[in-house]
Amino acid sequence: MKGSIVGGYLAPHPPHLVYGENPPQNEPRSQGGWEPLRWAYEKARASLEALKPDVLLVHSPHWMTQVGHHFLGVPHLSGKSVDPIFPNLFRYSFELDVDVELAEACCEEAREAGLVAKMMRNPNFRVDYGTITTLHMIRPQWDIPIVGVSANNSPYYLNTKEGLQEMDLLGKATRRAIERTGRRAVLLASNTLSHWHFHEEPELPEDMTREHPERFDGYKWDVRVIDMLRRGEVDEYFKLQPQFIEEAFAEVKSGAFTWMFAAMGYPNIPGELHGYGTVIGTGNAVMEWNLVEAGLADAPAKAAA
Amino acid sequence: MPIASAFLVPGTPLPLLRRDNPPWEAIARGYEAAGQALAASKPDVALIYSTQWIAVLDQLWQTRGRIQGSHVDENWHEYGELPFDIRVDIDLAKACIASTAQIGVRSREVDYDAFPIDTGSIVATHFLLRGLDIPVVLTSNNLYHDGQTTESLGRLAAQAADAQGKRIAVIGVGGLSGSSFRQDIDIATDHIVNDDEDRANREMLALLERGDVVEVREKAPDYAQSARADMGFKHLYWVLGALGGQYKKARTHAYGPAFGSGAAVVEFQH
Repeated sequence: MKGSIVGGYLAPHPPHLVYGENPPQNEPRSQGGWEPLRWAYEKARASLEALKPDVLLVHSPHWMTQVGHHFLGVPHLSGKSVDPIFPNLFRYSFELDVDVELAEACCEEAREAGLVAKMMRNPNFRVDYGTITTLHMIRPQWDIPIVGVSANNSPYYLNTKEGLQEMDLLGKATRRAIERTGRRAVLLASNTLSHWHFHEEPELPEDMTREHPERFDGYKWDVRVIDMLRRGEVDEYFKLQPQFIEEAFAEVKSGAFTWMFAAMGYPNIPGELHGYGTVIGTGNAVMEWNLVEAGLADAPAKAAA
Repeated sequence: MPIASAFLVPGTPLPLLRRDNPPWEAIARGYEAAGQALAASKPDVALIYSTQWIAVLDQLWQTRGRIQGSHVDENWHEYGELPFDIRVDIDLAKACIASTAQIGVRSREVDYDAFPIDTGSIVATHFLLRGLDIPVVLTSNNLYHDGQTTESLGRLAAQAADAQGKRIAVIGVGGLSGSSFRQDIDIATDHIVNDDEDRANREMLALLERGDVVEVREKAPDYAQSARADMGFKHLYWVLGALGGQYKKARTHAYGPAFGSGAAVVEFQH
């Protein structure tokens, strides 16, 4: 059976969201915080459950690679992930299963597309906190295999245009791999929107009286692009994306969002905004593009039949 | 200033992971020569700034007494692991933290099990301190700090050591030119990928060797920009700060490629 992508999520990775939730896997304890974003993820969790994917693919800017695009290629990975920027907030014990067959297919298809691509085979590899935070927030049960994809540094090393062209090719290669391996796949773009941030952390990180957008122009950009995406103006968004990246210091520069939309075929369908909020001043939106509801992928029961 | 020795060294793990590869073996040998010089200088503590320990909020300093483990580099995982066992001078690190408010920089302690110590710090401590009973102060590269702030941090760290009566080895960990190969290569043929950057690296090394700090300061910003130097060459400013802004001359123990980018082991004589 031919596989398909059943949905894609903009699923940002501030570790503060895990910290605010106080799951047993995370050592630090909080008094909550960032509830609007955490409630947004609750809605995303429910919709993900309904999609019944076989696998979650996540592209994270915090696994940055220099030579090519890398894929986690070890069946089971575990350990303690400590955020190098916020070690006071995120010290998370994780265990995850990797869909190595699909990861290898993605790697092969990426090479076929002319990209440099590699498998990461070392069982002691330290999975980055961006991957772990996004996965925890979208599926805290950790019961769906994953494919972890690195962010090649081409948008920064070369330039935004050339770098995102690579991500476009990577997304299309990912789609071909999903189709040929027969998976029902959900894609996760682990990206913040505007990325201007505070330079000092509040004494009590979860004191929400201190949380606000770092810059008004960043906030205005976020609202503008979210509104476009809610209306389904995907083509228009991608025309605007370079300017958004430049003027809002947007983290989508690292490529996850382009990768995801290229894999989905850039459908001009409305995205569902589950919620928006700031974290140390950065703009974060949890958004969903449900390809089943849009008629672009089969519902779970039909797919199973 | 209580300077025992000072070095600029690369943070790439390639000479450590694959020293059997001739272009990288030269760097490893240079690193070992620097290690011998450091040992002979008999410091009480090594002050290490690594461009690969990235911070964006505050200035971070390791305050965990002993850091042990094995690290897999996010880029070079195919070449194996980097075991480490590092002892930290907590008293001096805390004094450094207390000192930075005077330049308007807020510092924070990092004392967490499994904190992801960066590759550059591991490589430098391996080559320079292996087998020596010398503790370290490890600090981060805040992306929003410029060379001037980094130099001030180096100066404050040296002053804090002086106040504790400790002789220091100063170590700035980072690369030279930043352009690199973007695809797999025959590593035996590794070379500086860009001829202009190779020339710029050699000119900067010659300048450093002459010890004309005024000219170093004058030319370093242009070099950093034109050669895409690692993190704006801030690791040099750390060393200059700790040296009190002056030294007599320098010696390049090794210069070569690290997958197309520039790497050098430099010893400063003060």
